[in-house]
Amino acid sequence: MSDLFPFRFPFPTAMYLTLYVLTLVVHVLLMNYVLVGTAYLAVVSVFTGGPPVQRQKSPTALILRDWMPFALGATITAGVAPLLFIQILYKQSFYTANLLLFHRWMSIVPVLILGFYLLYILKSRSIGEWPAAVRALVGVGAFICIAFTGYSWTENHLLGGRAETWPGFYAAGRIVYFHPELLPRLAVWFFGAIPNGMAMISWQLRFQARRDGALPAREPRRAAVLSLTGLALAAAAGIGYFLAMDENARAAVTGAPVLPYLLIGLLALAAETAGWVLQLRATRIAGTSLGLITAGALVAVLCASVLREEIRLVRVDVQALYEQHARAAEVGGFWVFLLFLVVNAGLIGWCVRLVGRARKVDSTGTTS
Amino acid sequence: MDLPHYPINDFGPVMNGMVIGGMGIFHVFLAQFAIGGGLLMCYFQWLAQTGRSSAARRFLDGYFKALVLISFVVGALTGVGMWFTTIQISPRTIGMMVDEFHWLWATEWTFFCLEIVAGYAFYRYAAQLTDRARVTLLVLYSAAAWMSLFWINGILSWQLTPGHWVETGRVWSGFFNPSFWPSLVFRTVVSMTIAALVACVVINTLNGVDREARTELIHRAFLFLSGMALMPFLGIWYLSSIPEDSRSWVLGGSPTMTLFMSIAIGASLLIGVYAAAGILRKRLYINAVSAGMLVALAFGATAGGEFVREGVRKPFTIRHTLLANSIRPEEIAALRETGSVTNDPFPLPHAERYPTEQLALGAKVFRFQCSVCHTENGANGLTHLAGTWTPDQKRLNIAKLQHTKPFMPPFAGNPQELEALVQWIEWFDSGRPGDWPVSADDRTLEQIKRWLDEAGTEPAQQLAQRSAASVHE
Repeated sequence: MSDLFPFRFPFPTAMYLTLYVLTLVVHVLLMNYVLVGTAYLAVVSVFTGGPPVQRQKSPTALILRDWMPFALGATITAGVAPLLFIQILYKQSFYTANLLLFHRWMSIVPVLILGFYLLYILKSRSIGEWPAAVRALVGVGAFICIAFTGYSWTENHLLGGRAETWPGFYAAGRIVYFHPELLPRLAVWFFGAIPNGMAMISWQLRFQARRDGALPAREPRRAAVLSLTGLALAAAAGIGYFLAMDENARAAVTGAPVLPYLLIGLLALAAETAGWVLQLRATRIAGTSLGLITAGALVAVLCASVLREEIRLVRVDVQALYEQHARAAEVGGFWVFLLFLVVNAGLIGWCVRLVGRARKVDSTGTTS
Repeated sequence: MDLPHYPINDFGPVMNGMVIGGMGIFHVFLAQFAIGGGLLMCYFQWLAQTGRSSAARRFLDGYFKALVLISFVVGALTGVGMWFTTIQISPRTIGMMVDEFHWLWATEWTFFCLEIVAGYAFYRYAAQLTDRARVTLLVLYSAAAWMSLFWINGILSWQLTPGHWVETGRVWSGFFNPSFWPSLVFRTVVSMTIAALVACVVINTLNGVDREARTELIHRAFLFLSGMALMPFLGIWYLSSIPEDSRSWVLGGSPTMTLFMSIAIGASLLIGVYAAAGILRKRLYINAVSAGMLVALAFGATAGGEFVREGVRKPFTIRHTLLANSIRPEEIAALRETGSVTNDPFPLPHAERYPTEQLALGAKVFRFQCSVCHTENGANGLTHLAGTWTPDQKRLNIAKLQHTKPFMPPFAGNPQELEALVQWIEWFDSGRPGDWPVSADDRTLEQIKRWLDEAGTEPAQQLAQRSAASVHE
């Protein structure tokens, strides 16, 4: 038990690691939704189809167009908490990677602003009157903005863990970092996001079907096919990523501190796969299989986040940071945070309930 | 000594402070719009549901759309951008702020989450909601937005007026610091002002609302400007809460600070005059162009105010604790012995440009100690400021930097580094020739050492504090 992540670390370090991983999981799940959603919208904005299958007007596409700006806002907001804890945990490596990537890194801010507005344009009614080429450009553009941000984070993460490359990278005036791990790692993230994102979209489809009537049978089946494909590709990319890692990182992933997470994560992926296989044969979105898929996705993302952290921990001299973590843990304010976390979570629940009740009263109204 | 060295980026002719200032002003303006906007919408919702204004409901829809499209997107992302920019300029400052206040920052984050959920719930479903539900969401949204100001205000005001935190190290002593309340009240009034002015722009864009209804809406929005009457008093309250030296720079000691302060006051005064006319004359109508101009004036006032707020902290980023160049005052004595860049692992980009090792050392010293506020020869360029000084003048003025200018930090290197910096300025000012003699006169270095010793390692503010205390004794 004492070897298990995060218990082998002193309490302050373990506490910040736990908070970081848990808040990261929330961010990752929302990010999965946004990444998959924008990819889906990009595809249907290019391959629009024609009657009787107008992909842009499919229930999935309509839901995504409607929800995507909020989802991006929620993803960014959810990202603030792990961004806070990462600064306590890995101050120098995180800051140095930010500084080394310089303009390239900072460009994610305007790129995300652009992506946000493109998503609002996609949501607007007037885009339907625009030429097909422009619609495709907007859809693909939004996806590129989100994918670029994901790429930049991966680049930053990899550079942060390689202190030996920093002076040379800086002296050469480079602002783009490439490492053999970069592409397979990105592929794991992207393909792994598909089943998780599709799970969330399927919940929305299920709620909509219960409210507005039956869904076309192809919608749940398409979600299952995409998710199973995503799982298969993520597994292949995972093997590629493992092979691209250095020996220390490989040993870390299969080492005793995270082995239980690795095994549980694999079981969770198996459960998620089973859920999608069941869904493949169904003509409607069944709560049982979706529940299995969701539980599998949650556990898989949690375990993947722990493994991700373990790899970083072998690359950063975390022992040298124990004292800083202990000092940070001594400052006051934790109970105030906990109090407002509970209060504000309750108020968020109240907001959702208010809206839910109003929509039950007026189920014929359309959302704008 | 645990002095971290980070790679330092060169922004060319733009000084680093301008980068963070530009992003900061933009973000603060949008964030304050969001805060005031929430309060304004609560008021208009109340007007609508109590039947006091028939056009208020339509205004709410238009205004909220503007709030979501501008503030939720650009405001939120420039907020994240502020963190990234601060890392670019001074990672050690943001690191210390995060270490000290992370639980309060995390608390602020819980309010962000509430703000975004309540805001979007209103944005998406307002048309289907009862008045009671609408006002509930708006109150939650605006309370969450204002609370985010509450938390960040404590953290930012701590940088200039850390108060008893310096002695106790306790987070609440730092948070509820001397300028906390004046700054919070002032910013709340500013937020209401910005919200009201943006409202006048939005009112002009509403479809299907006649001139009479628009005039009435504008008059209602203008009532939100009445808080501006308090601004002179709040300004005096704020000025009285900041350190004496910082106050003296605003009140004529530093022409630049005074100029920016005057811009902020002048722009606010113009808006105030317009506001008074609007409140007193119920029939005053403001068209979109005039309203846009008033918003621009408010932006100018915010820019001036934020520039002053950032500037009066000099030479610190966290008063008494961290200097603008990311060196702690208590580290200077050791750096005078070891050298400030001896352990800097980051080589100079284009090191081949420097004809001698000494010039390369000078460039490194400039990068580490000066480049956060100065460029080579662009904005606030070092060669412009010191280029006309004779070499001995440079040596003396830099060695006794905190006495030369009280808003400058003490020089934090050894005599060899100081001489290298002097030679680098001379070389740069001479057009960077391919050959440059090495200055290795022991007597010069001894003289620099004497001057450094005479200057001491304390920043001017601490010296002044100490001498004031000894006078009292």
